[in-house]
Amino acid sequence: MLPFTVELKPGIPIANQILYAVKKAVVSGQMAAGTRFPSVRQLSQELRINPNTAHKIAMQLVAEGVLTTTPGVGSVVAEHRPAEPRERAELLGGTVEQLVVEAKNLGVPLEDVQSSVDAHWRRLGGDSK
Amino acid sequence: MNIIETKQLSRRYGRTEALNGLDLAVPEGSMFGLLGPNGAGKTTTIKLLMNLLAPTSGTARVLGVDSRKLGPAEMAAIGYVSENQQLPVWMTVEGFIGYCRPLYPTWDLALEGTLLDQFELPLDRKLKHLSRGMLMKAALLVSMAYRPRLLVLDEPFSGLDPLTRDEFVRGLLEVSTVGEWTILVSSHDIEEIERLCDWIGVIDSGRLQSAEATDSLLERHRRVEVAGLPPSGGTRVMPGSWIDREESAGLVRFVDSGYAGEDAERLYRETFPGGAVSVRPMALREIFIAQARAQRAIRKGAAA
Repeated sequence: MLPFTVELKPGIPIANQILYAVKKAVVSGQMAAGTRFPSVRQLSQELRINPNTAHKIAMQLVAEGVLTTTPGVGSVVAEHRPAEPRERAELLGGTVEQLVVEAKNLGVPLEDVQSSVDAHWRRLGGDSK
Repeated sequence: MNIIETKQLSRRYGRTEALNGLDLAVPEGSMFGLLGPNGAGKTTTIKLLMNLLAPTSGTARVLGVDSRKLGPAEMAAIGYVSENQQLPVWMTVEGFIGYCRPLYPTWDLALEGTLLDQFELPLDRKLKHLSRGMLMKAALLVSMAYRPRLLVLDEPFSGLDPLTRDEFVRGLLEVSTVGEWTILVSSHDIEEIERLCDWIGVIDSGRLQSAEATDSLLERHRRVEVAGLPPSGGTRVMPGSWIDREESAGLVRFVDSGYAGEDAERLYRETFPGGAVSVRPMALREIFIAQARAQRAIRKGAAA
């Protein structure tokens, strides 16, 4: 069994969907630091994806600092690390913009968006840091 | 090395050109998806490769041997499963497996056992009483159990219910270590191919439209949208790799088919000063639709 859940949907690149699912499981504490991450083979079989895609996903998670690898042991979830400036910029620029666009389009007022962000923040992480 | 290589491979049925000058190369160790609509030439291609049909012109080499000269030695290293395969339907599953086993010196009993477990096949049932899904799994089992160097699957998913499809794919991945064998699979199901294959060839109207590693195909395509553009006087110069373009007041949308990270994004900002640029990755289906639209636009332009 995989330590995170993802239901692959058409229309979004597979690797992106899986990367997102893993990160969500990590920030929400479902996968705590030190949790063993599945092998490439296991990822490929459980998710029914090409082994090379599974390999690429694991490499990317290591490159982004979500996982660390220990020779002979495999990959585990890494201790939290601060984001790179570029990653921050991407999140605060693009992703937040998307949220604002959707909210404005649906006529959702700013305070509702803020309180919903607060609620999700608490649900996934607990503290306010 | 390429395990399959065709040169100008063509096949006619009467006046119909089923396959027209196909140049295909399948790298050894890949899971190669041959994607195209029904009637595009996928089954014809596979039949030519398996020496079930003779080419009208051109050549195909499989495992380094001309397809017309494939003999028992090569066939013992090739597994082939087709949706229209003739199977000895009077045999039981057990009888069928027992019949195939001695035909292949490389038959792997342990793998046979793994696949039997995985597929939950009823050993004492006759093939003619199996569901379509069960029949495909039985055919897959006897084509995999001897660990062929090349496994060819012609439309394996069509007509399978989601659960059987899932088991089928799992069985395939269960025994696939990267690079151990080559799998050529034809399908018109984009999502299935996207998940399973690390190489994708697109075939349409008997011609190969493209063939590329899935990674690089996904990596070099981005959907770009520029909003809030100030009204501009002149026309902008855009590279030819920006396809499927749409423009309206203050808004430009296109697909960059030659995306190269930050350099590309800098070019978007330089081309559209003052606009808000958003860039997002695309799934395979969206890429194909954009490509097909761009092709059509080119043909229209040429006709005009």
